[in-house]
Amino acid sequence: MPVPWEALIPFALLTTMFGVGGTLFKTTRTINNDGKTPRYNIDNWEQMMMNRDKRLTGSIRGQSSNPKAPPEFATNSIQSVKKLLV
Amino acid sequence: MPKHVPPVDEIGATSAPLKSASFFIGAKCKEFNEDFMLCKSQNKPEQCLLEGRRVTRCAADLLEKMRAACAQEFEAHWKCLDNNNQEFYPCRKEERPLNACMFTKLGLSKTIPGTPKGQLPIHEVKNPIYKAQQK
Repeated sequence: MPVPWEALIPFALLTTMFGVGGTLFKTTRTINNDGKTPRYNIDNWEQMMMNRDKRLTGSIRGQSSNPKAPPEFATNSIQSVKKLLV
Repeated sequence: MPKHVPPVDEIGATSAPLKSASFFIGAKCKEFNEDFMLCKSQNKPEQCLLEGRRVTRCAADLLEKMRAACAQEFEAHWKCLDNNNQEFYPCRKEERPLNACMFTKLGLSKTIPGTPKGQLPIHEVKNPIYKAQQK
């Protein structure tokens, strides 16, 4: 009695599509966060600290434990004249 | 900076190492920090530059000492914090060696102000309810 394998194609398709989509999503988020888990529940303090990290290291998830800041840190702060949307 | 305030380098530590060292900075630099906060609450900001300079220098000094004395534990703890939304509760396993190292080598211990009397501080509880998912 031949097994009706054609009936299982939709299931295989669904599983593959979910798997591929989920993997791509996770890969994108990991790449955007420099290989670390994403940040969540970010309040204004955390946003300010992440912007400071960007000034210090070039990326909002970059970290360094130097006691002294690099020389460009003294002059690379951004003061906006008008309220920024971002 | 005005003439009476000598220039000082800003602290180069980013958010995760600073959060990891936060309680030790609080333990070591308590007087300077409270001085600065008192000055800011009573005077205009431009009159508190000298106190702010002391705060920066104290924290930078402690960070240097931490890196010299407890480099591995410090780095392990802040890397764990960085992977966990910078919250303390998943990283107790890395925090205990760091606290022990800081206490033996630098004499600083982490205290949580405002802990009710008779209650163990959360970082010393052996089996907390909120913890990391994997042991």
